[in-house]
Amino acid sequence: MKPSELKLFYEPKERLRLTVGEERSYISVKPVWAAPLSHPNAYLALMNGKGEEITVVQNPQELPSDSWTAVERELRQRYLTATVRTILHARQEYGATYWTVATDRGQRDFVTQSLQENAQWFSETHLLLLDVDGNRFEIPDVAALDARSQAYITAIL
Amino acid sequence: MSVTESTPPEGERVGALPAYLQEEVLIQLEGDYSEGSAFGHRTLEVTAETVRVRETNGVVAFQIPVSEIKEARNEPLVGGGRLEITGKNGDFFPILTYSSTVSAQFSEAARGIEQLAKGEPLSINLKQERTRCIKCNRLLPEKDGICPACVNRTKTMGRIAQYLRPYRKQAITLTVLSLVMTGLSLAPPAIQGALIDGVLTPHRNLGLLWTLMGLWLVTLAINSAVQIMNGRLIAFLAGSIAADLRSSLYRAIEFLQLSYFDKKQVGAITSRVTQDTDRVWGFLVDGLPYLVTNVLLLIGLAAFMLTINVKLTLCILAPLPVVFLLSGLFWKPVSQMYHRVGQKWARFHIHLNESLAGIRVVKAFAQENHENTKFLQRNQELRDAGVQADNRWFTVFGAMSFFTSLGALINWTVGGYMVYRGQLSLGNFWKMHQFLGLIYGPMQWFAQVNNWFGRAMAGADRIFEVMDTEKEAYTRSTTCLEIVGEVTFENVRFGYDKSNPVLKSMNFTAKPGEMIGLVGKSGAGKSTTINLLCRFYEPDAGRILIDGIDYRDMELQAMRRQIGIVLQEPFLFNGTIAENIAYGKPGASLDEIMEAARAANAHNFVLSKPDGYNTMVGERGAKLSGGERQRISIARAILHNPRILILDEATSSVDVETEKQIQEAIGRLIQGRTTFAIAHRLSTLRNASRLIVIEKGQIVEVGTHAELMEKQGVFHSLVETQSQVTQILGVGE
Repeated sequence: MKPSELKLFYEPKERLRLTVGEERSYISVKPVWAAPLSHPNAYLALMNGKGEEITVVQNPQELPSDSWTAVERELRQRYLTATVRTILHARQEYGATYWTVATDRGQRDFVTQSLQENAQWFSETHLLLLDVDGNRFEIPDVAALDARSQAYITAIL
Repeated sequence: MSVTESTPPEGERVGALPAYLQEEVLIQLEGDYSEGSAFGHRTLEVTAETVRVRETNGVVAFQIPVSEIKEARNEPLVGGGRLEITGKNGDFFPILTYSSTVSAQFSEAARGIEQLAKGEPLSINLKQERTRCIKCNRLLPEKDGICPACVNRTKTMGRIAQYLRPYRKQAITLTVLSLVMTGLSLAPPAIQGALIDGVLTPHRNLGLLWTLMGLWLVTLAINSAVQIMNGRLIAFLAGSIAADLRSSLYRAIEFLQLSYFDKKQVGAITSRVTQDTDRVWGFLVDGLPYLVTNVLLLIGLAAFMLTINVKLTLCILAPLPVVFLLSGLFWKPVSQMYHRVGQKWARFHIHLNESLAGIRVVKAFAQENHENTKFLQRNQELRDAGVQADNRWFTVFGAMSFFTSLGALINWTVGGYMVYRGQLSLGNFWKMHQFLGLIYGPMQWFAQVNNWFGRAMAGADRIFEVMDTEKEAYTRSTTCLEIVGEVTFENVRFGYDKSNPVLKSMNFTAKPGEMIGLVGKSGAGKSTTINLLCRFYEPDAGRILIDGIDYRDMELQAMRRQIGIVLQEPFLFNGTIAENIAYGKPGASLDEIMEAARAANAHNFVLSKPDGYNTMVGERGAKLSGGERQRISIARAILHNPRILILDEATSSVDVETEKQIQEAIGRLIQGRTTFAIAHRLSTLRNASRLIVIEKGQIVEVGTHAELMEKQGVFHSLVETQSQVTQILGVGE
């Protein structure tokens, strides 16, 4: 399937729908990143209502712009991973680490435990923190954070 | 349909007292995302009539009459969930988004909404869990759990001290010996001072020289004897306490709920038993004795010095507060760095454990280099963290030694001046100088002990954290019954993640002696059913009854003793074949063991081994073949003689002849027991009394093999698919 042939839109209001060219239509579509951490913003899988793959779009930017806008909206609702912009405070006490961060979704306090498992490095600078409830806080590039935030990371991890 | 979205009608604000405020709110839950998936707050309110979502300012963002709802569900999202409602006319509303912290509660709420929509009474378990500490308002690592910040160090020390209790006598002796040692270490400088002032300066009293030297010799002899006793006592005490700590930690780990092991890697748990107990041991053997003797020494020295010359003593000790302050100031960052080293150790352990356990796979895929790269990376991380921490430590230590050395400089400056002026005798000056040397020791270890203390407390806390984690309900009930074997699932619902149930409303009864085959696609909930039956997990809702009694009212171990399992990948322990067969019945005679092995078709192959029943099976039974391991595990189950038996695809990975033998063995094993069998090859379940077909966590068909084939439903299509696959595989071969 060519990305340019995929038309994604909300119909009815809250349901993402896909039509492929003039021939096929899927009434309930769920966009899923195939490898969100190693290949961010690429390999977007579209799943039907039963959870089966319809297609994988290698470069979602090639989707028609209306479709991409609709998918982006759906993705933002489905991926509650917050991107950390600044670490305002982090303190380690005994087994737990308490964080206060400013993210793209607002400010949040959270607590992590067993950092050897719950701080996952996907590259030298790409970090994912999982809090005790499984909420996700991503730092795509630790080196791009301000000096103070970086100092917290170095001191704790 | 009357649905209001985003635009609240007049009078819908809090304080306006509209009609709905008089309705009783049955469910009220706060979500932690606002519109547009940003962090914020929105509240779900459910009354008998209406479901509504309210913004922080009280504005109603959405509402729908309960009577118009067809379905309500929790849609799992990445890092949270969404409450979705489908109307009777097919309209679809994603009404509220929330994080994983509260998704289990919203999943319950969705169930509640459905119950109300169906006109059923509301029956959900909406326990409000504490996420913050009542005392300090800090986030809790575990909901309703303990706040690590409010568990103080004195308490942790106190808990470690409890482990001293059985060794009270030795501890008291140790304290007395420490006091004696402290006293004795003050003797040489005092003797030297007396020698200088009494013999060397006046050039007379030679006899006093011999007396003093004799006294010195005696002191030295006593000192080394005391030191030997002291050292031996410390070794005994610290070793015993560490062993006790390891034992109680291991015991605590054994009783933990299985969900704990789902979340943690084995390496990380092992590291707690080895590394963390080692740290506590290290502190007890090195840190604590130093602390006790040197604090005593410091007090003794200060008292002695004050009797010699108050002014000089105060001058010499002037840098002391700075040293204390510095070490207090630097302790936290340094200990944090050592905590980090601990984490790197755990990561290192995990990789090492894993790559050694999977060495066959590593070799088979020729991935030695890949594993080596990973190892080098972990090793380097560990080295870097260690070097950084030690660097920091030595820098702080070096800076501190400047202040500690100042004492000597002051002594020579002030004391030298006093001797010159005749205000202080040379002997007393020398005593001061020697005492100062003794103070150096305590000064140098002060930061060190703090560091040990920090590490040991962190280790102890990690140990106590495991000990304080919720255990399985071993002691909840003491009802201990002989099971007949009737098993009933009554509206059982369960999910490993509570917001996402794997089993939904499961209902069936297995009569004593029946063989029930559990059938379904992978992920349908077969293994989960078994896990619940073994009480590895307990239902989130509904009950499981054994002989009509809720199994949560039974004593856990007594109940499990009457359940036997034969797993697809049988786990054998490193030991002999006989020990493995007798695992569930320690002390079984060789006759009993052989009887079980015969019934399991294992006897002949066991006898063909040079050591027969004394053959060592290797780690995890690696020295036996798959079929042999399986038959040993069947023999183990036969000897265990359970009333309820679980067979988990026991014959999936062996050749035809072995399979025949295993099937025969199983045929003998299941006689007279209630048996639950999972088998992928559906034909092997032909002999089952009944088959239960599970799909997406629900029972869709029940009946005998023949009945279900005739019905041509789900089971029939599963069998059809399987025979087609088998044919294709057959052609492929």
